[in-house]
This record gives sequence, C-alpha cells and structure tokens, in this order.
Amino acid sequence: MMTKQETPAPRDVTARKGTRIPDAPTNRRMALKMGVAALGAAWMGGVGAASRLGGHETNVTNAPVTNIASPEDRVPFFGKHQSGVINLRPANGMIASFSVLAETPDALERLFRRLTERAIFLTHGGTPPEYDPRLPPADSGILGPHIPPDALTITVSLGNSLFEDRPWLKPHKPRRLIRMTRFPNDALDAALCHGDLNLQICANTQDTTQHALRDILKNLADQLVLRWMQEGNVPVIQPGPDGLAESARNLLGFRDGSANPDAGDEALMNHLVWVGPERNEPAWALGGSYQAVRIIRNFVERWDRAPLWEQEAFIGRTKVTGAPLDKPYAKESDVPDYTRDPEGEKTPLDSHIRLANDRTPETQDNIILRRPFNYFNGVAKNGQLDQGLLFICYQADLEKGFITVQRRLDGEPLEEYLKPVGGGYFFTLPGVAHEGDYFGSALIAAVRAPAH
Amino acid sequence: MNIKHLIPTMALLAGSVASGVALAQSAPLDLVGPVAEYKIYVSENVDQLARETAKFVAAVKAGDVARAKALYAPTRVYYERVEPIAELFSDLDAAIDSRADDYEGAEKDPEFPGFHRIEYSLWEKNSASDVKQVADKLLADVKELQARIGKLTFPPEVVVGGAAVLMEEVAATKISGEENRYSKVDLWDFKANTDGSYKIVELVRPLIEKKEAKFLAEVDKNFKTVYDILKLYETNGGKGYVSYEKLTDKDRTVMAAAINKLAEDLSTLRGKLGLK
Repeated sequence: MMTKQETPAPRDVTARKGTRIPDAPTNRRMALKMGVAALGAAWMGGVGAASRLGGHETNVTNAPVTNIASPEDRVPFFGKHQSGVINLRPANGMIASFSVLAETPDALERLFRRLTERAIFLTHGGTPPEYDPRLPPADSGILGPHIPPDALTITVSLGNSLFEDRPWLKPHKPRRLIRMTRFPNDALDAALCHGDLNLQICANTQDTTQHALRDILKNLADQLVLRWMQEGNVPVIQPGPDGLAESARNLLGFRDGSANPDAGDEALMNHLVWVGPERNEPAWALGGSYQAVRIIRNFVERWDRAPLWEQEAFIGRTKVTGAPLDKPYAKESDVPDYTRDPEGEKTPLDSHIRLANDRTPETQDNIILRRPFNYFNGVAKNGQLDQGLLFICYQADLEKGFITVQRRLDGEPLEEYLKPVGGGYFFTLPGVAHEGDYFGSALIAAVRAPAH
Repeated sequence: MNIKHLIPTMALLAGSVASGVALAQSAPLDLVGPVAEYKIYVSENVDQLARETAKFVAAVKAGDVARAKALYAPTRVYYERVEPIAELFSDLDAAIDSRADDYEGAEKDPEFPGFHRIEYSLWEKNSASDVKQVADKLLADVKELQARIGKLTFPPEVVVGGAAVLMEEVAATKISGEENRYSKVDLWDFKANTDGSYKIVELVRPLIEKKEAKFLAEVDKNFKTVYDILKLYETNGGKGYVSYEKLTDKDRTVMAAAINKLAEDLSTLRGKLGLK
C-alpha cells in the first residue's frame, strides 16, 4: 500500500503491461514492449496486452500475474463504455446489489450524479477533504490519507425492478431485461437475488473494493440501500514458462475462461458484448451491455473425491494444463475439434465446455464474455465449505447469450457439484462520456423527452 | 420524497467545513438549558419505566401470560426512548435489554436475562413459569437504573450524541427485526428510539436554527419519512403497532434509507454544537 510519501505519477495500466513479467526471455520482453506501444490507446487499460502477442487471445479471464499490479494503476473512467467489462480482471471483485430510493426522474438523476461523482473520485484516487476533528472524517481512512486508484473500476448496472416498479421508467426498459428466473438446478435464496441497481467493484486489492463500497454507502445513504453482496477474487499467478499469461483457475481446480472471446477485438466486442444500433434497443442503451450474475456454490469436498478422469470428462478439459481433451498435449488456448469427435469419445457430448460452446457457426452468437471471481464464504451449516464462483458475464443480448447457454447446460453432469444460489440480470449502463456527463444521462434525457 | 436541496447542501457543508469555518463556537454554557430539560425527559421516562415494569413483572409472576404479553411492548417504550443514557450503565443495559445472540448458549444460556428472556418464554413457550426469577431480577435492575440516573450528571456530549446513537440502534438491530424476534413488536421500539432522537434534536434546535437551517430541514424531512410510515402501521387508534412482519419490503427500504441518512447527519450534531 501507499505510504505517506509524494504520490508517484499515475501510470496508465496499458502503458506497462507485459514489461515486468519476471523470467521472460529478453527478446520476448522487447516484443511485448513494442507490442504494447503498437496497441497504444486502442482500448481501455487493464487488458493483458502481453497475451495478445503470444498468439494467445486478449482474454479478460487471464490470471493477474505476480508483481505486476501497482497501487498507481489507473483504469480510465470516461468513455463510450463503462470500464470493468472488457478490462482484464484485477485480483479482487465484488457485486453489491441495492434497492434504489429514487421515485422521480429528478431523484434518479441526483442519485446517478452523486454516484458518478464518487466513482470519478475513487477511480482516479486522491486526497479526501480534511474536516474539523469534531466531525466524523470524510473518508473511512482504510487506505490511508491518500487514496490510490489501484486499478479500481465501479460498473453500474440496473435491474428489472428499477424499471418495473416505476411507471415513468418502465417504457424505457431495455427490451431483453427480465427478472432472473429459476433454472432446474438452482436453489435461489431470495436474500441473494435481484436488486434495482448493482455495482461491480473491482480492484487490485480487497481493501480498495471495500473502501469504495463504504464511501458509496456513506455518501448515498438515503439513495441506495444495500440488499446483498458477494465478493470474490482471482488467483494471482506466476507467468507460464513462456512468460505468457494464462487463465485463472476456479475452485474446481480447472482453468476458467479459456474460450472467452478476445476482448482486444473491438469488432467482436461490438458484436457480442456492447449493445449496438442493430439490437433494436432504446437509443439511450447504446454502448451498454447485459450483465448476468450468478452466485454458484461449488461442493468442493465432494468434487475433491471425484476421480480425475471424471472431473475432466465433466469439464471437457485436462485439469493440469487446461488443454482440450482431444488434444491433451496442446495448450489451453488451442481449440478442440469436435468435427473429428462427433460421438464425444474424447470430449463427452455432455461435458461443460462442449455444451456451453459446441464450436459450430450456429452458436457463435451465443458467446458471452465471462468475468468471474472465486469466492470463499467460510463454512456452511452442514460443516462443509461454502465456496464457489461469483459468475459475471456480459453480452449484447441476454436471451441469446447467458440464458441460451445456461439452457444448454441444464442437466449437465457437472450440476451434481454446483448449486446456483443467487444473482440476477441487469443492464450495464453505457459509459460516462466526459467530465460533466453522468451515469445514465441518456436514460434520464429519454425519460424527460416529451412523448411522441 | 424531495431531496432537491441535498446535494448542494452537502457540497456547501463539505466545502465550508473543510476550510474550518462551519463549526459553532458555542460555549458549553449554551447547552445548560437543553441538558437540564433532557434530564427531566429522561427522569420522567425512567420513572414510568419503573412503574410499568412493576406491572409487567406482576403479570409474569401471576402467570398471566396474556396480560404480560400485552404489557411487554408498552413497557419497553420508556427504556428505548432513553437508551443512550441507560447504556451508560453497561452492566444494567446488558441485564435489562440484551438479546439471545449476546450469549453463546443463546436462549438456553442460563446467563440470558431481562426483557428478551421473558419475551422468549411468553411468545415461544406461551408460558411465564420459568421466568419468575428473571422477572424479579428485571424489576430490581430497573429500579437500580432509576436510582443511578437520578444521581447522574448528564454529559452534554452524551446527550447530544444520543440523537445519532438512537438512529444507530435502529439501523443495527431494529430494521432487521432482530430485537424483538419472538414478539415482533419492533415497530414500538422503532417509534420509541425515533422519539428519543427527535426529542434531542428539538432541544438543541434553537442553538443551531439559523446557521444550520438546511441541515435541520434535511433531518426533519427524514424524521417525517419515518413517522409517516410508522403511522401506516398503527393499531388501536395510534395506541399500538401491527407485527413487524407486516411491514412491506418497500416501506422497510424507505425507512432504512431515512434512518441511515439520519444516522449520517446526526453524527455531525455534536461537532455542530462545538462538542467533542
């Protein structure tokens, strides 16, 4: 953490990605540096440029690499899209879901403006005002007197109930936004589901995500009431022998996110993740995305008692390397060839990865951008570990994306080891374009526009 | 809800406080009147608490479960209004008002005393037979509290700070319905805590009325939100409240937000009066 000394000049995270991977060959380092420069400002910070250059896609689910994160990492806040979606995951993330108190457009605008103000301050970092000591301090102080940006992102998404419960907002609801409904294997706990608005808060350290949450609770005390939250993290790993990033492992011990779409491919992101004009959504929603959140408990004791071959058959990958089962000596990033394995002799037809993505042209529109975190919630009442995956994904079309993929997964053998207990569907607002703009400004303008 | 003035007010507050000019230089003398008046308020409530507790304890000891149940919530009101002062005597506060979660053995823990232990038997067992000694002890503790408060010099910072303390109480234990989990009479406590907090604001209002008009308007607005919702759940022409379970999720959320904001705002009240 930062000490009291002079703040070093903040570094744009893109500007140094890949430059400090230990033990990478020198020529690789040079290549990485040059590649980073070439990538330039093509996209927001935090995406692992290193991986792009090794023939490995720019994958948001790449694990953070040891010794790379710095408190001075700053993810740009302003833009067409919100940050926290196509950026590489930092090591810590949470979803905090709220009830919204605003009952009028004016009140909702005030809420969005206040939230924007706090998000700008927190993601940029800085020094909070100093009050008279007879008053409560402006800041919790858990990060010390200077708040470092620490790769913080605060991503705002709206739930179905926000629209449905307000007649003036209802006509402006994104067309595909619905209340999450139960899938056959779900055991949803009402106390962990839905919400009017959620914040996805991600940063290098948990202290930073918690600090941001506390700041927002304090500053929006009468505008947001916290309903539930789930924190998670991503294992920070040593780079592979070739110096390249790899997908992080989930709590089943498997690499998770290997087949994630390339977040560095702007056209692909515009097609799969961001709502564009072709989606026939309300105009205010352009540049936004649908977010699906699922709190998926893993029965880890039982999983650890399953034979390795069965674990691999259920997932569809080798456990050690993440290689597809039809190419066990290949790399994690190599693509399985199901056309040569139509009966599922190598990769079972009901394995998780094959059901989720059968690699046929017909299902390529169902691809979602996954951005999950592992969670550890202590011990359950039955004495077993309460841990699992805080699954978060983004897509331009909720129905074609998460809902379709999950329907294909319904009944998969892996379900024996999984139990989704919470989450919800939300619409991630378009970005805050510039200073003076605020979260949801286009929505508020649409609400205020005279009816046609 | 009209919170139009909130953001500019906050900005103004933050700006002026940061530059160190906002806080009142009022000498503690200013508070002599309000503190004296508050002491009367507390004494009246504690006297009433002692009287009502005697009736409640008599009903418990007579095995009159129905009467004891009827007296439970109205008796506690006098305690909940003056909780910040009662809490100064932590031994008595624990003896009178602690909850099962404060004990490792929960309800079955022999150490679990006071109102909530009796509440447990009355509602969960529909019996008063196993709490007669607990009832005797409760009455003795309440009388002891009355005696100690009679001799207490009221520290102004505790009096003024009490406004926020009561809102913290509501936010931490009442909103969740944990306080009176067997009887579900939390709305009574809710009202009593809010009354106690509002009383303190009323007493110091003349001292800050001019300088803190916007602050007070915001505080008043949130008190009104709480009172307006409580009114919806009154029974018996305002003499009681329905079960806490009847509170809709929506109303609970609106109350929670108002209470959270009151807790935030009232946390500055001591500072605004120049107190540490």
